[in-house]
Amino acid sequence: MTQLNIPDEDYMYPGHVGCPGCGAAIAMKFALKAMGARTIVVIPACCWGVMAGQYPQSSLKVPILQTAFATAGATASGLRAALDMQGDTETTVMAWAGDGGTFDIGIQALSGAVERNEDFVYACYDNEAYMNTGVQRSSATPFGTRTTTTPGEGWKKSRKKNMVEILAAHRIPYAATASIAFPEDMIRKFDKARQMKGGTRFLHVFASCPTGWRVPSELSVKIARLAVQTNIFPLYEVENGVNYTLNYRGDRPAADYMKVQGRFKHLSDADFLKIQQMVDEDWQLLLRKVTHFSGN
Amino acid sequence: MRTVLEGSHAVSEAVRLARVQVMSAYPITPQTHIVEALSEYCAAGTMDARFICVESEHSAMAAVIGASSGGVRTFTATSSQGLALMHELLHWASAARLPIVMAEVNRALAPGWNIWMDQTDSLAQRDTGWIQLYCEDGQEVFDTTLQAFRLAESVNLPVMVVLDAFFLSHTFEPVDVPDQETVDRFLPAFSPRISLDLSNPCAFGQMAGPAVYMEMRHDIQKAMQQVPARFEHIETEYAALFNRRYGPVEPVRCDDAEIIMVVTGTAASTCRQVISELRRQGEKVGMLKLRMFRPFPTDLIRRILGPARKVAVVDRNFSFGASGIFAQEIRAALCNRDGHPPVFGYIAGLGGRDVPPETLAQIYRMAKDSDGPEQESVWVGLRD
Amino acid sequence: MTKANESFQEVSIHISRSSMTTEVNKTGSWRFVRPKYDEKTAPCSAACPAGEDIARIEMLAGQGLFEAAVETVLLENPFPAVCGRVCFHPCENACNRAGLDAPVAIHSLERFLGDGAAGGGLRLSLDKLPDNGKKVCIVGSGPAGLAAAYFLTRLGYLCDVFEAGTEPGGLLRWGIPEYRLPASVLKHDIDRIENLGINIHCNTPVTRRFLKDAKQRYDAVFIGCGHGRSLQMGIAGEELASDGLGFLYHLRRGQISAAGGTAAVIGGGNAAVDVARSLVRLGTTVVLAYRRRRQDMPAFQSEVAMAVEEGVEIMELVAPVRIEADGGESVLTLQKMKVSPAQTGGGRARVVPDGETTRGLKVDRIFTAIGAEALEPWQLPPAENSQTLRMSHCTLTIKEQPMVFGGDLTNRLKSVTDAIASGKQAAMALDIFFKSGLEVIQERLSACLVGKGPALSMARYLGVGRTTRNSHIVLYDEINRDYFLPAARAAATRLDVDKRMQSVAQIEQTLTSTQVLEETGRCFNCGICNDCDNCRLFCPEIAVTLTGTRRQVNLDYCKGCGICVVECPRNAMALEEEP
Repeated sequence: MTQLNIPDEDYMYPGHVGCPGCGAAIAMKFALKAMGARTIVVIPACCWGVMAGQYPQSSLKVPILQTAFATAGATASGLRAALDMQGDTETTVMAWAGDGGTFDIGIQALSGAVERNEDFVYACYDNEAYMNTGVQRSSATPFGTRTTTTPGEGWKKSRKKNMVEILAAHRIPYAATASIAFPEDMIRKFDKARQMKGGTRFLHVFASCPTGWRVPSELSVKIARLAVQTNIFPLYEVENGVNYTLNYRGDRPAADYMKVQGRFKHLSDADFLKIQQMVDEDWQLLLRKVTHFSGN
Repeated sequence: MRTVLEGSHAVSEAVRLARVQVMSAYPITPQTHIVEALSEYCAAGTMDARFICVESEHSAMAAVIGASSGGVRTFTATSSQGLALMHELLHWASAARLPIVMAEVNRALAPGWNIWMDQTDSLAQRDTGWIQLYCEDGQEVFDTTLQAFRLAESVNLPVMVVLDAFFLSHTFEPVDVPDQETVDRFLPAFSPRISLDLSNPCAFGQMAGPAVYMEMRHDIQKAMQQVPARFEHIETEYAALFNRRYGPVEPVRCDDAEIIMVVTGTAASTCRQVISELRRQGEKVGMLKLRMFRPFPTDLIRRILGPARKVAVVDRNFSFGASGIFAQEIRAALCNRDGHPPVFGYIAGLGGRDVPPETLAQIYRMAKDSDGPEQESVWVGLRD
Repeated sequence: MTKANESFQEVSIHISRSSMTTEVNKTGSWRFVRPKYDEKTAPCSAACPAGEDIARIEMLAGQGLFEAAVETVLLENPFPAVCGRVCFHPCENACNRAGLDAPVAIHSLERFLGDGAAGGGLRLSLDKLPDNGKKVCIVGSGPAGLAAAYFLTRLGYLCDVFEAGTEPGGLLRWGIPEYRLPASVLKHDIDRIENLGINIHCNTPVTRRFLKDAKQRYDAVFIGCGHGRSLQMGIAGEELASDGLGFLYHLRRGQISAAGGTAAVIGGGNAAVDVARSLVRLGTTVVLAYRRRRQDMPAFQSEVAMAVEEGVEIMELVAPVRIEADGGESVLTLQKMKVSPAQTGGGRARVVPDGETTRGLKVDRIFTAIGAEALEPWQLPPAENSQTLRMSHCTLTIKEQPMVFGGDLTNRLKSVTDAIASGKQAAMALDIFFKSGLEVIQERLSACLVGKGPALSMARYLGVGRTTRNSHIVLYDEINRDYFLPAARAAATRLDVDKRMQSVAQIEQTLTSTQVLEETGRCFNCGICNDCDNCRLFCPEIAVTLTGTRRQVNLDYCKGCGICVVECPRNAMALEEEP
């Protein structure tokens, strides 16, 4: 018996070189279950640029166009135009980028594409640092994290950028967060995004990285679940930048999530208190915008 | 149909007739008239195409890479800062073997901000694997742009059609613009060799390690080596239909010349006049207009310049710490030829400074009066 | 290439484009630990004296596969409808779900399945080994005897059951009141057993002579006649008190209608509580006198609680001294007791007289129910010796031929389910004896333990199921509670106390199938795979395959990340070191 609401077919092959327990591998697996065979994936530099396969291999059953680091939004725009000009309006273009290629080096091209309301799905699988190059900080790295460029006492003292809010301000037709620990929710959202043709749809996927976060590989999904249960990574959807639907209400303290990760082990109780306040504040900000609740 | 066209519009007319389907560009003076015209064509339906107004040149090149990978004929245009910003992706386009055509308006690089004629921008991209063709006048711009699509698609390499800022881009000249049907005979519908295909899904741009990368690079060079023969064939077909032909180089009165001046772009027009005048004065001078810079026409350079006593290269560009770039490349081409002339390099006309006939005549005199080049490049007309 | 370029060959395009898949990379070589499917033992099944595969039963019922669920019960216990009413459900006390909200209502679920099996709507298949030509004489048709007959018949033996009474069932028929176990419900379970091909001979008491003859005609004997003699108090005036078990017997025979008045019941076990609750239904005001404290009563606490609800007054720490007649009534003199500081090993309080304090209790009738013992000396199991093997629930002795004593005669805990366990153990022990000899019985039985035992699994013995179950008992902390939300336990419809008193109708209704589907959803299915598919869903390597209903880890690609093991909600997997 397989789970209801989860399509059985996979569009990914085994043999990719993702780390054991890679959340990004699970993320792609789920995304493609929803996206299906009529998808072309645009991948800028990121872990998935390597996991896509070393020449002459490919790890996906759908076509892939790898592209330079900063260009996912622009390359996807061009590809979409080419498909449209050839009369193909069925195939979905899905940009699949890490947090670096979305929040930082790729933000310009993404913002430009969203402002133009380009017709593609953009999925950011967020492992909260430049993992592919060795765990350097990104603007998606949360407050409190030690990375190789925020080491020791220089641990990251700035907050994580809120990409969904940035794009909501663009009045993007659909932006949502998703988590590998909530497969039904994630697949529903990708399927919804796939069907909403005509504009840009953005999905911010929480993809745990046991390697970079110093978490045992077997806890990869559990840690992703904790992020949602502690309201550190809320599950919600925004339509047209104004209609907020909350999918899950968490009730666990932030420390539950952070204390099991090596990347946070330097934090003191005072730090956890401060972080809890930040999480609570962000949660309240989100709640003020929520008009619908669809979850537990 | 013969008409008067601004150089920019010679480009846009050719792009229209080439039935390009996806374009993307970011405006930068003095390319703007090209992209504005193309935007109008798309909006009016004159072209059945999509124009993507991206937010930077880097994204413009990314967009046409995406579109070309999707299997359609693509075009972009830029200049100076924009070209420099695209640099990473110029390498990408060629190594991805995409037949993209780009109009590149030669403009100076900042700082200081200078929107006028200078060749350093395009020449600084000479290593990127793009075919480069330098145009002298409006008709040539039109013809070269059409030929560029044929050539790009023949070898699966991107082509840069280069024209001088303002001197060419904003100058109105008579241009013969053929009809669509005839152009279609020269340039049929695009049949991509590289295209993302759902029925045969594969991945493009995969990691390619030490064991395989070199062969892929070699493959680019092999394609470049095929360009001269294919370009000649293309020009022959073009000449048959449109009665015009330019060649990768154009020698003027070189056969018995003792000193040959090498010029490019609009300066070539000026130089024709100077050569005529000097010949009238009894000077044994000739001129070689360099049109195709990549692939570098080594054989032709050796054959035409080899017999001369001296070569004087006019560079409206510079590679700091070395010399004018055309001069460098010509020296490199000649050095392995037994008995080659000394190459005198002259730097003139940077940042939009005019290169009038007097300057070219002065350069000739300087070359004639020197026994050998004392410097790799002499900067002509510097003001105190 | 455009048509015009046809005179030239296509230029070579050697780019970084794929032409094969990553399947050539056998990433399984990265592994240093390897996951495996490793079903384990649920605490409920280990706590069940009959060793029922409860986690699986609830899983099947939860999938709406009621037939399969009942068959799974019947593999280990032929009395689901009976146990679903009278068992003291140690399974629920062991249930891991209690850690989250409340134990699964296993008892009520068993009743549902038992009633369904009785209804005849389900088509059950009970496998049976072919006849082996051996015959067994079963003495007593109580739960022990009938269970022994049931399991022996399934093992291929021909059984004759001899019952002294007019109907089969023993205490099930005559000792437990109607409102706890209706005769019609019992009949359905017994009929199913009988229909396997067992001959039940009622009105046939077994004497010593009968047994001697039987030894000629049978290959083995099972003695499950129970305790036929009630214990005496040994006090003056004892003859003025009535035997509680006898009262229950006559009540079940329909020979007692109303009573009224007042009564004292002496004792603290289930029999005493049954007597007390039966009396209140006849209109009697009842006091239950017990020598220890309420919490020490061996009766099921739920029964005691209901007795109190129904108006039975429990007098704790009193011991009977003497009974005297007073007119039509009796006076019961009771000695006040107190808890002695010196505790016994079993945790039950040791009580001693509290000074000289006594009190008199004047009632219309007095009943005793302080226990029972074997009626005849030949019913006593012998001590352990070279030819006698004492097992947890029965004793096997060889004298010319094997004889097994079971049920209340041997069990420490005298419950119905333990009697059933006794019959099963006896059947298995006899079968092992016949096939391989006395010496290997313990060893072979221990291979069939559920968890650490003492419960035995017939499925394991027959090799038809649970054969690869790891005996590790799943702990609450080993359940991934991320997958379970708190949910209210199913509550069967219950009669109000007033309604209860008016008849011998059952107090609880059977759960509805809707309730059953919801309640089984609360079961964690500790240690067994319920096809949730999490392992396959979450595998980042697409290395868990499903063929039909069988899942396998593809060792060519599995990197040993362990996600499958953690995300298995019910600890049905394990990680082992890569060999």
